[in-house]
Amino acid sequence: MSKQHRFNRRQFLSCALAGCATSVLGPFAKLSLAAELYAGHPLAPKLTHHSAKAKNLIFVFLTGGFAHVDTFDYKPKLQRDHGKEIPAWGTHKPLMGSPFKFQAYGESGLMISELFPHLGGVADELCIINSLHTDIVEHFQATLAMHTGSSTIPMPSIGAWLSYGLGTQNLKLPSYMVLCENIPYAGTQVWDNHFLPPVHQGVRILPGDEPVANLNTSTDSVTLAELEQMMLRDINELHARQRPDDLELLARMNANDTAVGMMRTAPNVFDLSEENDATFNLYGLPREDNTSFAWQCLVARRLVESGVRVVELIDTGATNNWDAHGNMADHRPKAERVDRPLAALIKDLKMRGMLDETLIAVCTEFGRTPFSNNMAGREHHATAFSCLLAGAGVQGGTTYGESDDYGVEIASQPCHVHDYHATILHLMGIDHTKLTYRYAGRNFRLTDVSGNVLQDVLA
Amino acid sequence: MIVHRKFSIPIAAILLLLCGVHAAVSMEPIRAAQDEQYAFFEAKIRPVLVNTCFDCHGGEEVNNGLRVDSREALLEGGIYGAAIVPGDPDASLLIEAIRHNETAYVQMPPDEKLLDHVVRDFEAWVKAGAIWPSEPAWQPTDKVEAEPHWSFAPVKTVEPPVDMTGWSDHPIDRFVRAQQHERGLHPNAPADKRTLMRRVYFNLVGLPPTPEEARAFMADTSPNAFEQLVERLLASPQYGERWGRHWMDVVRYADTGGDNADYPIPEAYLYRDYIIDSFNTDKPYDQFVHEQLAGDILAKTGPPQRYAEQIIATGFIALSRRFGTGPYQLNHLILEDTIDTTGRAFLGLTMRCARCHDHKFDPITMEDYYAMYGIFDSTQYPYAGSESFQTDRNPRTHFVPLLPLEQVQSQIDAYQAELSQRRKEIEKLEHEGELAEKRNSIKQQIESLREQINTLKSDGGDTSDLESQLPVLSTQQNELTDQINRQKGDLKQKLPRSDLPADMPQAYAVRDGEAKDAPIHRRGDPAQSGPTVKRDVPKFLNGGNALDIPEGQSGRLQLAQWLTNPANPLTARVMVNRIWQYHFGKGIVTTSSNFGRNGSKPTQPELLDYLATRFIESGWSVKAMHRLILSSKTYQLASNNDAHNAAVDAANDYYWRFDRRRLEAEAIRDAVMSISGLLDPSRPGAHPFPPMEKWHWLQHIPFPYDNVTGRFEPTPYPSNHRSVYLMTQRLQYHDYLGLFDGPDTNTTTAVRTSSTVPQQSLFLMNNPWAHEQAQAFARRLMAFSHDPVERINRAHVLTYSREVTAEEQQRAEAYINRVDEELTTRELSPDQREFEAWNSYAQVLFRSNELLYID
Repeated sequence: MSKQHRFNRRQFLSCALAGCATSVLGPFAKLSLAAELYAGHPLAPKLTHHSAKAKNLIFVFLTGGFAHVDTFDYKPKLQRDHGKEIPAWGTHKPLMGSPFKFQAYGESGLMISELFPHLGGVADELCIINSLHTDIVEHFQATLAMHTGSSTIPMPSIGAWLSYGLGTQNLKLPSYMVLCENIPYAGTQVWDNHFLPPVHQGVRILPGDEPVANLNTSTDSVTLAELEQMMLRDINELHARQRPDDLELLARMNANDTAVGMMRTAPNVFDLSEENDATFNLYGLPREDNTSFAWQCLVARRLVESGVRVVELIDTGATNNWDAHGNMADHRPKAERVDRPLAALIKDLKMRGMLDETLIAVCTEFGRTPFSNNMAGREHHATAFSCLLAGAGVQGGTTYGESDDYGVEIASQPCHVHDYHATILHLMGIDHTKLTYRYAGRNFRLTDVSGNVLQDVLA
Repeated sequence: MIVHRKFSIPIAAILLLLCGVHAAVSMEPIRAAQDEQYAFFEAKIRPVLVNTCFDCHGGEEVNNGLRVDSREALLEGGIYGAAIVPGDPDASLLIEAIRHNETAYVQMPPDEKLLDHVVRDFEAWVKAGAIWPSEPAWQPTDKVEAEPHWSFAPVKTVEPPVDMTGWSDHPIDRFVRAQQHERGLHPNAPADKRTLMRRVYFNLVGLPPTPEEARAFMADTSPNAFEQLVERLLASPQYGERWGRHWMDVVRYADTGGDNADYPIPEAYLYRDYIIDSFNTDKPYDQFVHEQLAGDILAKTGPPQRYAEQIIATGFIALSRRFGTGPYQLNHLILEDTIDTTGRAFLGLTMRCARCHDHKFDPITMEDYYAMYGIFDSTQYPYAGSESFQTDRNPRTHFVPLLPLEQVQSQIDAYQAELSQRRKEIEKLEHEGELAEKRNSIKQQIESLREQINTLKSDGGDTSDLESQLPVLSTQQNELTDQINRQKGDLKQKLPRSDLPADMPQAYAVRDGEAKDAPIHRRGDPAQSGPTVKRDVPKFLNGGNALDIPEGQSGRLQLAQWLTNPANPLTARVMVNRIWQYHFGKGIVTTSSNFGRNGSKPTQPELLDYLATRFIESGWSVKAMHRLILSSKTYQLASNNDAHNAAVDAANDYYWRFDRRRLEAEAIRDAVMSISGLLDPSRPGAHPFPPMEKWHWLQHIPFPYDNVTGRFEPTPYPSNHRSVYLMTQRLQYHDYLGLFDGPDTNTTTAVRTSSTVPQQSLFLMNNPWAHEQAQAFARRLMAFSHDPVERINRAHVLTYSREVTAEEQQRAEAYINRVDEELTTRELSPDQREFEAWNSYAQVLFRSNELLYID
């Protein structure tokens, strides 16, 4: 990063709050993209607002709404009062105790249900937040909210915001990559850049043989691709020579080079052959497997290792997920699929000394009702649910916030989705009130006009 | 617990101090700090007051004489005295009350203490002075600001200044030159003929000239050759496809609804084609505005042959974004989209903010917002389906027939009567028929059994025997209910899915509904009605004359007529600025949908007013505006850099050159297909959506999941038609358009961004579509000639509209040979090798800057 560029960036950040960015950038306003490119790359690492431990984020989204009272929010009174009717939805509904046993894990004694024995094994790394709440209790809207802070109109995803705010460490890979087998609720909007420059858009990785779209060369060899690249540069240089001083033409020539770089780098990231057996065992991953959630978790570690700023894991799509209206027993296969790989990911990062710099957020769109219509399944529940944070900068082995005795409402330390986002941004070195982007005549931010950093979560 | 408020007033206060020095020159920091305080109030304080306190201390209710609905009321207080002392929370009764201290006079709210962090918000708010944004923030705060905002003042009649330098007689040039002269700027030389040809082709039709067209124009040495080319292009049907797409950006066109399952709207394309045709026929812009807002009202009295067209035009309103899973869910947000799009598209005003609070920068109040709201709330929107179309069998409703109602009413009535008869028949299955009778008898058995049990119980007898019979009976009852539901479901499945006969021509359009004024929604919450507001346009623009809306009408026609009244200061300015923007790549006002105080100021205000005046004088002719702009020397300048000019005006605000710019997504795709020869220039009509019987989409399985294969198609309905005809979804970005800065499909797009990212290169390099184009291009070249020299020249003519140079020729040949050599290691026949080599060359040309950028 050149000095000149650093200076501009700092000025930009310090002025963003005061809304004077435009005036400071002055003549650069209209050339800002080119100006950034001139300094190297729009994804070049940026200065943070404050020093932070977390350099990378692994954002794990468990789709469909896992039941807080069956996973991380232990409610003995709910067990005791099983069958008792409470006022709900304008009528009375019977409470349903969890069909799953809870036990204390680790030195911290965190209570976690039998669905997650492996995560229990890393309990001392986890901060369980039991006081999440969200605004609209529909999958679509709540999924959008958990990703973008907005439950109605699409906004940039948290990964896109982080890419915009922090840049990335490896310019040969996208800054925000999303491992996602099936399209989630609200579709591709959940990783979209929206009004942020497209370079911050999440790049979907499709588990399987062609993980990144358009990365496999259409020609038979990388040599041929590079031959084409040389010819292209040749033609473009001839063109640019007659049009001196046009930074944008140069920027596109550089982007072409980066693209070829990506074609060389990315396959290595997805090639797991150099991983040892111990690692495969840790994740419970057979060597020939290149689709399972365990594979995705291991790839997530490799992506972070390669310098990708934000990696998102979406466990299932809009169908066949945690949406257990019929029977809570359906949570069991969902949990089995993710429990061991997630625990393995945390252990693996820790063993490699990477957990100090990697933040892990495990979340869902909403919780499920402590009461039941059919005494087997649970409905959507927005007023209290659970999410996790772990890793860099997080106080492990703790809980934050409480729901009431049955897990219906929040009893203390509420955490709105905006608060969850504000805390993640804070841990990544960003003040969520200052990370703004001017669009359609006003400054936008991930947390809209709210959001509090959960100080008690911080280590 | 400790929750630190990062969004705190102290920060704002510090900023105020820090920025105090600059306050004399810039109001920005102060305004920003004030914004923070307002935002804090709106986010943290007002909601609590409204939700928790208003019931007893607002509106009609004034318990203990205290109202909490304004700052003044709080200062005045109730029977215990002032409720707040700004700056001193500890002395404020309100704070004492909400702290619930045992010793306090009162503890509020009486039932339950507010959450700790809410109490702290109130403390912070009082401490910072209890700021309450009752006065609109836009109000003048210093002398400079006291001037009326430029765009709200009438359009001035201005004469172009005389060009003292003798550079040009053209009115546009005279305005531009005068400003350049003041700044010591000198316009570039004119662009060469080929550059200008390519520029105007892409600009007007979005395609490169064919080799024949290019040759003809280059050979035409007559003085009006360019003028004739412009006329030819304006008369081409491809002009409407290019410029219609610009308007589609502005009106947030899409082929799906935006509801959670993103239901398709097969009829939306009619509005798309209406837009394209309107541009092609140079429909006067005022008429275009009238039709889109009130075509249904005009159609009633208009010529019969234009009936359908005018109905279709209201697709502008019908296409408002939808939400949720059922008909008209979050209706206030649907109307917000209409109001916001109307404001931005026609007036360049951002009205959305005023849904929840008075606009912070422009003099748009909540009353203004709900005055417009009433107009659209008196309008019947169509419903095109959503999740409940599948789950509850809610049919599509309120589409508008394309024939006058009096002609089709009897047909509709008969159809709907039959439909409701069939529905009744289905409902009857609950009570009639074999299954219902069986169920009834079981129900009676259960009831009598229960009675017996109760009697026996009260006699102290053993009921276990009788009770053991109950489960069997209930199971039978449930099974019968299931069977009945299945039967009903099967029959419902066969019901038509629309409230109009399927064979009746119809549009996704609107008509007047029940005419009524709307109440203000306090804080934008439709559950909290405030006073009702008479339907009208924003007060600060209506010149003291409220809209005169005839009894029983929505007011859309009056709104449309008011918009195009020549005295309206915004409508003509906004449109000529858009036209300018699509010619030059940037508007005279660069925020082309925001002419408010928060938008950018015009770089050439007098030119803008001149153009607006000419526009109205020409009868709102868009093509006349093209002719005026394209004939200027300013449009025809070369795009090269000039060190002297750049030192003064790097951003080219004063048009000393033509800005080189990247083609938009559609133009790149169309150009590539035109060069490869695969482009199908015809108009495709409706999209190949599956038939309505197969619409089973849910938010879990949204469109375009294929119901049968379960596969999700990120780009459904690939086609070789022009990009304007690609199916556009609200919820899923088209993978190509999204990558190349296509329009936002959720909201109006004023300006396309132009990004440069490696993924774009990867797409053009490796995507199967790109590969297909390159192969077709290679075949086209190989079919053209056997001589590599001729092929290479043809490639340049097709791609760049020019002959190849000797240097390029040499390099290209060397490249072809080198690739051929590289391929010798493969098991390929010489023919295959030859094809692959040309294919590779074609790929390179498609990614080259000379194609992607227009000089």
